[in-house]
Amino acid sequence: MKQDKIRLTVNGSSHDLSIGVNLGEIAPSETLVHTLRETLGLTGAKESCDHGACGCCTVIMDGQAVPSCMVLTVECHGKEITTIEGLQDPETEALDPLQQSFIDNMAFQCGYCTPGIIMTSKALLEKNPRPDEEEIKEALAGNFCRCISQYQVIEAVKQAAKNGR
Amino acid sequence: MQYFDHVNARTLREAADYLRSSKGSAKAMAGGTDLLGVLKDRILPQYPETVVNLKTIEGLEYIKQDHQGLKIGALTKLTAIAESDLIREKCPSLARAADSVATPLIRNLATIGGNLCQDVRCWYYRYPDDVGGAMQCLRKGGDLCYAVRGENRYNSIFGGMKVSESPCTARCPNGTDIPGYISRLRAGDMVGAARIIMRVNPMPAITARVCGYFCQEGCSRNACDENVSISALERFVGDYILDHVDEFFTAPEQESGKRVAIVGSGPGGLTAAYYLRQAGHAVTVYEKMAEAGGLLTYAIPAYRLPKECVGRTMAAFEKIGITFRLKTEIGKDIRTEDLDEQYDSIFFDTGAWKRRIIGIEGEEMTTFGLEFLMEVKQWMKDKPGRNVLVIGGGNVAVDVAVTAKRLGAVSVTMVCLEAEKELPASIDELRRAREEGVVILPQWSPTRVLRDDDRIKGLDLVRCESVFDLDGKFAPVFDDTVKKSVSGDSILVAVGQRTDLSFLGKDIDLETKNGLIAVDPESQMTSKPGLFAGGEVTSGPATVVMALKSGRKAAAAMNEYLGVKAAHVSSEVNGFLAFDPQGVLKSARARLPERLPADRSVEAEDTSGLEYDEAMTEAERCLNCGCIAVNPSDIATVLLALDATIKTTKRTLTAEEFFTSSAVVTNLLDDDELVTEIMVSGLGKGHRSVYEKFRVRSTIDFAIVSVAFAYEVGNDKIKNARIALGGVAPVAFRAREVEDYLNGRTVSEDVAAEAAELAVKGAIPLEKNGYKIPVLKTMVKRAVLKR
Repeated sequence: MKQDKIRLTVNGSSHDLSIGVNLGEIAPSETLVHTLRETLGLTGAKESCDHGACGCCTVIMDGQAVPSCMVLTVECHGKEITTIEGLQDPETEALDPLQQSFIDNMAFQCGYCTPGIIMTSKALLEKNPRPDEEEIKEALAGNFCRCISQYQVIEAVKQAAKNGR
Repeated sequence: MQYFDHVNARTLREAADYLRSSKGSAKAMAGGTDLLGVLKDRILPQYPETVVNLKTIEGLEYIKQDHQGLKIGALTKLTAIAESDLIREKCPSLARAADSVATPLIRNLATIGGNLCQDVRCWYYRYPDDVGGAMQCLRKGGDLCYAVRGENRYNSIFGGMKVSESPCTARCPNGTDIPGYISRLRAGDMVGAARIIMRVNPMPAITARVCGYFCQEGCSRNACDENVSISALERFVGDYILDHVDEFFTAPEQESGKRVAIVGSGPGGLTAAYYLRQAGHAVTVYEKMAEAGGLLTYAIPAYRLPKECVGRTMAAFEKIGITFRLKTEIGKDIRTEDLDEQYDSIFFDTGAWKRRIIGIEGEEMTTFGLEFLMEVKQWMKDKPGRNVLVIGGGNVAVDVAVTAKRLGAVSVTMVCLEAEKELPASIDELRRAREEGVVILPQWSPTRVLRDDDRIKGLDLVRCESVFDLDGKFAPVFDDTVKKSVSGDSILVAVGQRTDLSFLGKDIDLETKNGLIAVDPESQMTSKPGLFAGGEVTSGPATVVMALKSGRKAAAAMNEYLGVKAAHVSSEVNGFLAFDPQGVLKSARARLPERLPADRSVEAEDTSGLEYDEAMTEAERCLNCGCIAVNPSDIATVLLALDATIKTTKRTLTAEEFFTSSAVVTNLLDDDELVTEIMVSGLGKGHRSVYEKFRVRSTIDFAIVSVAFAYEVGNDKIKNARIALGGVAPVAFRAREVEDYLNGRTVSEDVAAEAAELAVKGAIPLEKNGYKIPVLKTMVKRAVLKR
């Protein structure tokens, strides 16, 4: 069956998109990271390696952290997606405690990979609120940082887990 | 990513319908983590028009256990498998393998079905199209495996696997398993090499000297340097066979009681005679000339094919009980009808010996080239004139020209219709002719013989624009405005000979076509059951190897006709394709030692064969074309050790069948066949399994080496060991010798060390992946010692 319309929920807002080749439509060969950035203007997820290897494009889809460059938008009908932009409280504009913990721990350098790392960490904490260091490392094994922010990242996730208790 | 259409399959049947009706233009996609990478980089020659999404199929995502065993739905995510308590408890190796795949993010998308069907990661194969163009490697139907001579650190250490028929074999009209016999040669197994050739060719010493060597034109090495000198290697084996006739030419163990006659002793007739005799029939070969061999004896000059070589071959044929009746012409000395009554089946290989008339003025003054060659053989005295003109551009014409030159002609000029590149004569023969001073005039057609009373003075020529029409039919086009004359005092005509069917008596009414005996192309049977024909009497002027093939095919069909089952010869390759990692780096091909032009004669052979060492070096240049990329699936290695079964929409396959029968897993499946379930049984108490994986980075990397080990323990001893190795060969495979060794033993350091040694037995590391040997040993040791 050809899917010519999809509805996806991104950061709590529902979006109806048409699949096709006309202006404003999403091509069936388009990946989610592209749609998020180019159509929905959510540029937090970064398209970096485009092969699912670096984790910079990570978003949370139905509770699972996934590389959005390896997901076709057309296959996201009915999915609930959270990007880095969705972590902030929409009313109070307060940052998510995990985001705050990254700031407090200076858990980034250039910051390019950070949205992906935070989203993976967020998915981890949702499933496992009290991960130990090994579990944090294992969960983040698909997120690469070239500036070596990893040590601070682990501290930041640990601290967020501790504060969440 | 380049555009494609997308459909969601709601059921397996719907997915199969999409795939089937697309006729190959649709691709199935599960998790997509492999396929999307392939599509983004456009690495394959064909880009799909449609992607069929399988994730929308309900009910294929489960992990459960019933009385048959542990069952996993094909769409189950790797994360679920890695985290499943049931799998962790029942077969920890599978949980561990799943957990080791790529990264947690990828595992959230990737499915087990997709993992099993994923494509290889060889970087030549995966080279992206937008950086200078994707590479057309052997696996993609190209000529060469680049890794064999290139960066092969992540490739196989146990050799390659066929991904297509080797181009040399594909080009050989007789289908000779060339890489097969060259492999035996490399292994020092002359007898094995000889037997592989003799499965399809009983006279390699002869064909090695006269074949057109289409195989060499196909050789993959042409794409990088020089082809393997297959001719020199075949000659080496062929001469070995003639030196060991007693070993290779043995009479059949059982007589069939059937009698067959062969009419004509050319290569086709002789080949049929050999294979029919092998099947136990009483074989009589009738030959009208004084010696057997047909054109081998009478038309091909001795400097190319020494008559001693033909004679020894005939003697070998006589030795296995083939009877030769020489100077006996069928249709004259014996009526064909009588022959038909005396024998159970007959094969006609009477050849094409009759002069073809071109139809030019003064043609009666010219000499028939074939007769000239026969006269050379018979008298050696009847020298041609001083300035010789040869009409024709085939190998016979070259033979005529070179022979005339060597007999003392001052000048020899060949007049050929075809353009230089279209000349039917082989490049080697043309080179030889030019080397000896023969002048070749391509694209000229003779129009009349210039004469002075009864003396030849030369030929008038006209420009030939083209020889064949668009359909490849002989339809020469001339340009009458471009003319030329060449002078000469004798003219030899060698423009393709005709058949003479007058021997077929009035009672033998065979169907003919264009002056040839009509035969069924598969069986070589004529319109009259029991009567078969082959060689040039059915094909018109062709090559020795074509005649040979027709003789072999006819023999098989005659056996069937006579109700005799010929012994089955298997040709499967055991194990992986070996080649010499150092030898393949050598660029220059072997060249047969050749007499200098001044020393050549019409009697002595121009070339001599290779010495043993030279032949081995040349054999080592053969790439034994196969793909040496390794299957990247961790799950495959584990499932092989666990003796799992893989269920598809059409059948149930063992892991062994699924993973090891083809280098390209998906080639095993039909276009519309999908994996639906993986089942592991026999996971009772005492069953253990481990998975050890080596890689540089502990995440994202594919296995450089992996070992899966499944076994049971009873009385402290290993039972039912199954050990599978991954990352070291084109497909995961079981190390049976290691299994046999481990069964019945108690685990110890020493036992693990010995198992490790056995696991690397037979490895042929390449230039850059020798490090895999110690790694493999370590992984095997760890797997065995793991508690």
